[in-house]
This record gives sequence, structure tokens and C-alpha cells, in this order.
Amino acid sequence: MFVAPLLALVAVWAVVVPLFDVNPRIFPSVASVANAALDTIRDGSLFRHIGASLLRVGLGTVIGVVTAVPLGIAMGVSPAISSFLTPLFRFFSVLAGIAWIPIATLWFGYGFGAIVFVIFNAVFFVVAYNTLLGVSTIPMTIRNAAASLGAGRWVMLTEVLLPGALPNIVTGVRTGLGFAWRGLIAAEMIATNVGLGYMLFVARDFYRTEVIVLGMIVIGLLWLLIDRLLLVPLERATIERWGLVRRT
Amino acid sequence: MNLVLKSWGAYVRATKRWPIIATIVPFIPVVALWSVVANSGMFPRAFFPAPVDVARTFFALMYKGILPDYLQDSLIRLLTGAAIGVVLGIPLGLLIGSSKWAHRACWPILLFFQAIGDIAWLPILLIWFGFGLTTMTFVIVYTVLFPIVLNTVLGVESVHRDLARAAQSLGASRMRVLWEVTLPGALPNIITGLRNGLGYGWRALIAVEIIVGTSGIGFMMFDARRAGSTVEIILGMIVLGILWYIVDAWILAPIERATGQRWGLVTSS
Amino acid sequence: MKTLSLKNLQKTYFDPYAGSQVTAVHDVSLDVEQGEFVSVVGPSGCGKTTILNMIAGFIPYSGGEILLDGIAVNGPGPDRGVVFQSFALFPWKTVLDNVSFGPKIRGVPKAERDRIAREYLELAGLSHAADRYPNELSGGMQQRVGVVRALANNPAVLLMDEPFASVDAQTRMTLQEELTRIWQQRKPTVIFITHDVPEAVFLANRVVVLSKGRVLDQIKVDLPRPRVWDDLMQDETFKRLSSQVLQMVRSA
Repeated sequence: MFVAPLLALVAVWAVVVPLFDVNPRIFPSVASVANAALDTIRDGSLFRHIGASLLRVGLGTVIGVVTAVPLGIAMGVSPAISSFLTPLFRFFSVLAGIAWIPIATLWFGYGFGAIVFVIFNAVFFVVAYNTLLGVSTIPMTIRNAAASLGAGRWVMLTEVLLPGALPNIVTGVRTGLGFAWRGLIAAEMIATNVGLGYMLFVARDFYRTEVIVLGMIVIGLLWLLIDRLLLVPLERATIERWGLVRRT
Repeated sequence: MNLVLKSWGAYVRATKRWPIIATIVPFIPVVALWSVVANSGMFPRAFFPAPVDVARTFFALMYKGILPDYLQDSLIRLLTGAAIGVVLGIPLGLLIGSSKWAHRACWPILLFFQAIGDIAWLPILLIWFGFGLTTMTFVIVYTVLFPIVLNTVLGVESVHRDLARAAQSLGASRMRVLWEVTLPGALPNIITGLRNGLGYGWRALIAVEIIVGTSGIGFMMFDARRAGSTVEIILGMIVLGILWYIVDAWILAPIERATGQRWGLVTSS
Repeated sequence: MKTLSLKNLQKTYFDPYAGSQVTAVHDVSLDVEQGEFVSVVGPSGCGKTTILNMIAGFIPYSGGEILLDGIAVNGPGPDRGVVFQSFALFPWKTVLDNVSFGPKIRGVPKAERDRIAREYLELAGLSHAADRYPNELSGGMQQRVGVVRALANNPAVLLMDEPFASVDAQTRMTLQEELTRIWQQRKPTVIFITHDVPEAVFLANRVVVLSKGRVLDQIKVDLPRPRVWDDLMQDETFKRLSSQVLQMVRSA
């Protein structure tokens, strides 16, 4: 069901390109993209680029989430502190991602460190801000209810604050990863010599449109897989079942 | 104790009267801390400038007219792209949303093209259009378009079928139903889409200005990076942050709330 | 034997908008016997919810004392169960996990706490809903869960803050009858806050009328139990007591 329209699109592409005799330096044929895929798979360069990109995103995201969630919860516990800190984190979360590329490359030099830093800060600020929002939207009565049933600090954290903020945390991870993924591609075009962004950008120098299109398809598929197989099911399993916030 | 309470009371009353105070005051300790760290000599000043340096650069660049020019360039690019994205995106979304068939056929394609992401288009766009305004505009339009289309489709579907039926039984034609019922019903979602789209859009613009680089805030920051001038990079980030904070928190979010909450439609944050 | 006693309880707080101290509760003294059902009524702003929040330990008190079995109350604790007007069920826990939450914190093993929870769900006629999430239940059912969740923790007092104010009139009457039935079976000590006078009289052994942060008067309710609306609606004593309390509240 989901794949059929995409296959139809590929069919149109396969028909249109030879029909109008499109210059391969403008747009590649299906066959040449398939060949490029086979070649890059055979010489291992495709997986090297994918691996490099995923490692950066994975590392930056894990560090970002692991640091942002506890911080966000700690800040959100007291209503006075959270309302004071909200504008600050909102500021940094609207700035998160690509705008940090220039300073990141200056601080860390071109390469791995700068890129992971850009990913990290895209995820960190957005997740921290959303966690902060999430904790502060847990109704006080629910926290009171837990306290009057005998919950101490630890139980309050694990059984009330964390699950209560989870919808916002998941939203934050989704948004932050969206920024991070784009930041990754941009940073790889600017600041490295391996990764999907680099693969695209270097192919441009040689007018290798089939490699560019291959790279775009890989980027699109990877993101679809991350979003639909990881993030959307997580949202469904928690938020919708619990009848908390529903979003698209 | 009493003095603390009194001044806290004064602060709360002041923020009630001028809400902007509650937005600005939290930044005071951050800037102070930044100032202390920068002046402590922990990092070289050229590497980690103080707030005073940034402020001085700000006034210098304002005086020379560079900052206003670049800011204007960036904003015009963003607005042009966003306008085209809205003009294309809403009708497309309405079209796809009002037919089950079109929805089923287009949804996966929309998701896929959104997933490719704006910036990945840059290399092939550079081949097609070269380094220039067309490339930049294309990227922005692309970024803004998909969130708007996807959200418009969702918005159209969230409009209760009885509303359209009610309008029809009151004598409205298909076009009238679209204009009077479907569009306003989908509006909260459309605005959410616009807000998301612009959020991605200005980031894409920065990336494009860095890579295509002739003018604009992104160009200014990356040019400064080449010259090793941290001060201008940080200035650029602060300008972007403030600008985007204002646009998002004071324009887009209130509109989103106004349409969604005023009409009692369900929208989340 | 008295369980809970409030002595010259007082609450003042600093209102940042007014920039001055505000007194919500002036001077309230009240003793509650073990197994007694006390309703507290009064117009809005009379301080009844503030008093309940102080007994629950959600907010500190500024003067006087609150003693539970002779020990001063300090912060929220499992010895005082609370039923909230907004239900305050944990949306991320099933009904069963909501009810077994208190025993779980006390360290009761899983099999045992599930047995306790199921027993209480049975008491409220909710056995079929054990594995549902709160948002899948109606308001009336959610509040039944709220009541047994508090009871399952075996508190010394049960504090109820206008618990039936946000359910429809039909359901409210059913819930009131169920509550009197459960009370007769378990005999918990209950403090029930409400602004609905017939409800207060219907449920209680004693009705306390509050006004402007003070106890205005108290009335004993010696109606026979079990109480059902079909009988009491026509009952002369019930009508007399209700109008008596209503008059006090309106003059307050």
C-alpha cells in the first residue's frame, strides 16, 4: 500500500528520462542510478558514507538525549524555576542546529568533533526545552496524588515526572532529530571528507548526477526508516494509548 | 525575608503588566556569567569574546550598514520562499485532502520527499541553477512546502463531515464549502505547518548562504569563520536567535493558539 | 477515639499580585473521631479546600497544629489518602496499576498488591476495567478508581475534595450511594469537602459549616443507613437538616 505510489513514481521516471532524452548531467536515468548503487555497494563506499553519517547522528543524539532529559526534568520540578528558565531554553532551541556550524568548526576544527557537536546541540536544546515544558504541564494534582500515596523523590521521578513528560520528550526527540539530520547533511557538505552529505557534494564537482540522486534516495529512505519505524511507533505506544497529547 | 517577598511581589506584578520582562530577565545572569568567563582569561579572547566585544561589533556593523543589508537579504529570501510555499502548498493540500484517492496515492510520495530534506537537494540544484538566487529560493520553497501540504491534508481530514453536510444543506456549492468550511477548519493545522516549515526554512537558508555564499547572515557568519573572527559569528547567532525568537514566540505561536483555541479546536502546544 | 484534630489552624500567605499577606484560614479547630464521616460545606472562598490541602500536607500551615493520632502532620504521606476533584489518575498506568500504586510503594510484592487492587476494584464494581487506561473510562468510572486507589493504601483518614463535582447529576447520585455503601463496609475516617448541601447531609455523620476561614456551626446527622436517594428524598428529617444547613451556608 505504502510502496505502490513510490514504485509508480519510479516507473514515470524510467519512462520520462529516455523519452525526452534528458542529458545525464542534468538528471540521471533509473539504470545509471541503479548502477551507481551497485558500484558504490561493491567498492564499499556507500556503506562507509552511511556508516559515518549514522555514527555521527547516533552519537550526537544519544549524548544529547541522555544529558537533556535529566536536566529538563530537574529544571521542570519547581514551577517558579521552570517559568524562569523557559525563555532561555526556548531561545537556544530556536537557534539549535545549523546556525552552530560556523562556530563549531572554529572550536573543533573541520571533522568529526564539529559535526557531532552540531547534532548534539540540535537534539540537546530542543529535547531539554520540551522536557522542561513536559514536566511543567504535569498537573500539580497528579504530583500531589503520588505524594499522598507515599511516593518519595525516586518514585516521583520514575513513575510520575518521567512518564508525564514523555509525550513532550518524544516530540522533542522527533523535532530535534529533524533539525539534526538536516544539520548533519549541511555540516558534511561543509566540514568533512566522508558521509552522505560529502558524497553528494563531491559528486556535484564531477556532474555525477546519478550519485547525487542515489544519495538523496538513501537520505530519504534512512530518514523515513528512522521516523516511521522508531519515532512514530514510540509515540503511538505511549501518547495515544494514554490519551495524552495527539499530534501529527 | 520581608524584603525578598516584597521585591518578588514587585517582579511578579511587573511581569504581569509587561510580560516582556519575564522573557528578558532570565538572560541577565547568562550574559553576566558569559562576561565573567570571557574576562577570566580561561579561553583566549579571540576564541571566546565577551558580551562587550559582541556589542561593539554589533554597533560597528550597524553603523557601516553591513548587518542591516545582510539581514534584509536573508529575510527577503525567506519571505519570498515562504510566500511561494504557502501559495503552492495550501491548494495542493486541499486538493489532496479532499479526495481519499489522491490522498492514498500522494501521501507516501509526500512523506518521502519531505524525508529527503531540503539541504540534500543543494548539490543537484547547484548543477541545475548554479550559485544564485534561484537555488536559494528553491530550497526555501521546498522546505516550507512539505510541512504545509502535509498539515493541510491532516487539517482537511480533521474537519467533521457533518460541517460540510450542514453547509451543503444550507445551499453551499462545492467551491463555497471548500472556501467557507474546509479552509477555515484546516487553518489551525495549516498554521502549525507554516510554523514548522519556517523553522526548517530559516535553518536551510543559513546552510545555503554558507555554501552558496554571496550575502546574508549565514554568509556573514561563515565569512567571519574563514577570517577566524569569533565575534561576528556569535553576533550572527544572537541576531538569528533573537529574530527567530520574536517571529516564533510573538507572531507564529500566538496565531496558532488564536485560531486553534479561540475556535475550541484541538491543537497541541 | 479521635483520630484527627485541628487546633487553631491558621493559614496566611503572601500574594505577589496584591503585594501583601492574605489570610485564607483564620482559626479552625475540629476533632474527627475514628470511623466518622465528616462533610465540610461552605461558600467558595471559605477556605475549605485550603484546609484539606493543609491536612493532606500539600501546603504548609502558618499557625496552630494538625495532629493525626497525636502526631503532627508534616508533608504529604500515605496515612492520609486523597481523592481529587480532577480524579488525578496516572494516565500512563492501567486501572489496576493505579490502584496498586500505593501498596507498590510500601513494598508489597507484586502478586499480593495485585490481589489487594483486584479486591478493591471488585468493591467498586470495576473488575472488568482492570487493564484499561484511565482515558478509556467515563468520568464516573474514573472517580471510582480514584476512590479505591486511595482506599487500597489503607489510610488513617480519607480526604475527599469535591470528588463528584465534575460528573453528571445521574452518575453523581449513584456514586454517592456507592460511597455510603463502601463506607459502611470499611468504616474509613472521611473528611468530605463539598459545596453541595444535600450531598453533604446525605453522606455524613456530621456536617461542618465554614465561613470566611472559620467554623460557623456543626450539625449531627443521625439518619439511618444504608442511605439511598429514593428513600431520603421524601424523608422529613433529611429535608429539615438540609434546609437548616442551606440556611447557614447562605447566611455565611
